[in-house]
Amino acid sequence: MAVVEINNVFKTYHDTEVEVKAINGVTLSFEKGDFAVIVGPSGSGKTTLLNLVGGLDQPTGGEILIAGHRLSELRSSELIDFRMDHVGFVFQSYNLIPVLTAAENVGFIMNLQKWPKEKRMARTDELLSSVGLADRHKSRPSQLSGGQQQRVAVARALATHPEFILADEPTANLDSKSAESLLDIMEKLNHEEGMTFIFSTHDTRVMKRAHRVITLEDGKVVSDEIRTE
Amino acid sequence: MITAIAWKNVWRNKTRSLIVIAAVTIGVFAGIFSMAAINSTVVQRIDAAVNEELSHIQVNNKDFRKSTDIQNVISDYQGVVAALESTPGVTKVTGRIIIRGIASTAIKSAGVEITGIDVEKEKEIFTISEKLIPGTGSFFETDTKFNTVFIGEKLAKELNIIRYIITPESIIILTDEGVPTDIISKVGTLQGQRFVSDKKFIKACEKILEPSEMEKYEWKIKEAAWSYREGSKIVLSFLDINNNQTGAAFRVSGIFRTNNDMFESLSLFVPMDELRQLTGMEKGAFHRVIARLENNDITNSVTPVIREKLVDYEVLNWKEIQPDLAMITDFIEQIYGVFMALILAALAFGIVNTMLMSVLERTRELGMLMAIGMNRRKIFIMIMLESIFLSIVGGFAGMAVSEVVITITGKTGINLVKYSEGMEAIGYSAYLFPTIDTQFFITTTILIVLTGILSAIYPARKALKLSPVEALRGE
Ligand SMILES: Nc1ncnc2c1ncn2[C@@H]1O[C@H](COP(=O)(O)OP(=O)(O)OP(=O)(O)O)[C@@H](O)[C@H]1O
Ligand SMILES: [Mg+2]
Repeated sequence: MAVVEINNVFKTYHDTEVEVKAINGVTLSFEKGDFAVIVGPSGSGKTTLLNLVGGLDQPTGGEILIAGHRLSELRSSELIDFRMDHVGFVFQSYNLIPVLTAAENVGFIMNLQKWPKEKRMARTDELLSSVGLADRHKSRPSQLSGGQQQRVAVARALATHPEFILADEPTANLDSKSAESLLDIMEKLNHEEGMTFIFSTHDTRVMKRAHRVITLEDGKVVSDEIRTE
Repeated sequence: MITAIAWKNVWRNKTRSLIVIAAVTIGVFAGIFSMAAINSTVVQRIDAAVNEELSHIQVNNKDFRKSTDIQNVISDYQGVVAALESTPGVTKVTGRIIIRGIASTAIKSAGVEITGIDVEKEKEIFTISEKLIPGTGSFFETDTKFNTVFIGEKLAKELNIIRYIITPESIIILTDEGVPTDIISKVGTLQGQRFVSDKKFIKACEKILEPSEMEKYEWKIKEAAWSYREGSKIVLSFLDINNNQTGAAFRVSGIFRTNNDMFESLSLFVPMDELRQLTGMEKGAFHRVIARLENNDITNSVTPVIREKLVDYEVLNWKEIQPDLAMITDFIEQIYGVFMALILAALAFGIVNTMLMSVLERTRELGMLMAIGMNRRKIFIMIMLESIFLSIVGGFAGMAVSEVVITITGKTGINLVKYSEGMEAIGYSAYLFPTIDTQFFITTTILIVLTGILSAIYPARKALKLSPVEALRGE
């Protein structure tokens, strides 16, 4: 069963007089273990698509299934918990809670899910080590570099074993070295834990690292290549 | 965890939070302290009125207040006393004779209310005996063949019994008080002169001292020059039971000082037996019976009980005798209402403002939190808690400061001597000893916390209206 199924989805914005078809009939599916990137020019609908897949926004047509659940059947109050249980998010910026330490940020969702303390701490240790920040438990986001902050965000997204992780331009604010190392970590997690990653980018170097490249233009999928080395 | 995050969020923008907290602190302090100060004047005034002038309950012959005729006595004194003493809440009972008359010296005279008292019982019920000015004698302790009278300082001045003389002793007093030597030497030039009134003495001082010096030292100089010859005599004249003019010379046993000029100039006390002899009143005849209660607060509940027992008499409590005292108590409560409304409005305004700013600043962060699984209820609680923390920290800091300042000034007093003439003319002390009861503190705390909660609702709802998509997009 596919982790994500997108069936003929539309998203139209009725802004002012113009009607913007941000997503214009997209059909896609993502399998467990995918390491897929969505590319396309600015305004092509990448962010819109990821928001729809993440259940942050509702499509105006078509249907999205996550792990077999129809998102349209969930009430908005259920959707928040559904997101927390099934989807990991990494945003371009503002990922972390500034008043909490790196470890507390990683533990945040586990905390919301009321994990026992021991288990939470063990998982936090494990995750911070796997993103290479074992020694930064007590650092505040403001004391971390942009790349380190993104890695903490990845660790947090992974914490509760979601079905997949969505990342909208996770490297956009990073220098190329930090971007590379973030991708190394994502790739490693993909390899070792079989975690599914769906992310968007403008960066051709990032694009090259993906195993699957989906190109959007004007809200439509214009190509979907699978790369095998 | 949300509580911890909310608490930390409060301190994210330290300056802003501290400004709000400081504003709340100052507001709360200003409110509580001014209330305490106002409250103290009233409490002191009521205590003074009850302790020195009125007591709690007065029982009169029904006609006595209309016409203070010497004949309008209480017919069944023993019965009245028994009825009062058997009423729960009543602690002490005594009888009085009250006669209108004229007090005079060789030069001056004044209308007075002569109160015949049972000296020993009076000491138990009233504190007037403690208001004796040191050095002016005693409360009827001197053994003398003369009739004796206990009079107020104001009356003593009106009758020119008190004079102002700069003596070598005055100079010593002034030196002890730390008055500068140049001023003392100027004042010294008045030595030996006798001033029969306050005004004349001040005029003489004004001639030799600068206005600024006067302002600073007038009060001390007056105190030092204040002089009274022990054993001075005044003549009291009044009508006896047969409506014949009668009178006698009375030796001043002592002079009392209260904060109430009216009372000081109008009321004087004479042992009951002396008055009985002069007027021809019978031994068991009294004009008024006075009862003391356990405390002021039970006045309203005890009065009707007594009234029912003594239907043939006029029964009045202190609030009825001096309605202004009761009114001022109500008035204080209203002032409190207005004060609190203002403070709370300012508090609410500050918190709504700060929290709105803080929510708007954190739009993207709040969007992120909603995206990753923090539900609306938790966001709402978090913002509410942040506001509540702000108001509670400010509120409690304000109350702590108030408590400290009130405790200190409550002991040392706030000196308003400069304005003392105006204050004392209407019976208020020139020293404030701010007091506030626990009830007031508790009410204030609850109101502050409630306001904190109420003013949190609007910013918290604003935060709920954010949609994660827009919050994340909004640059
Ligand atoms: N809330 C909105 N109201 C109106 N139009 C919107 C809204 N959100 C997005 N759009 C429009 O939808 C289209 C797709 O936007 P989207 O942000 O998904 O593009 P993108 O591929 O992520 O672009 P970028 O590479 O610049 O991030 C754009 O034309 C955009 O203007
Ligand atoms: Mg985008």
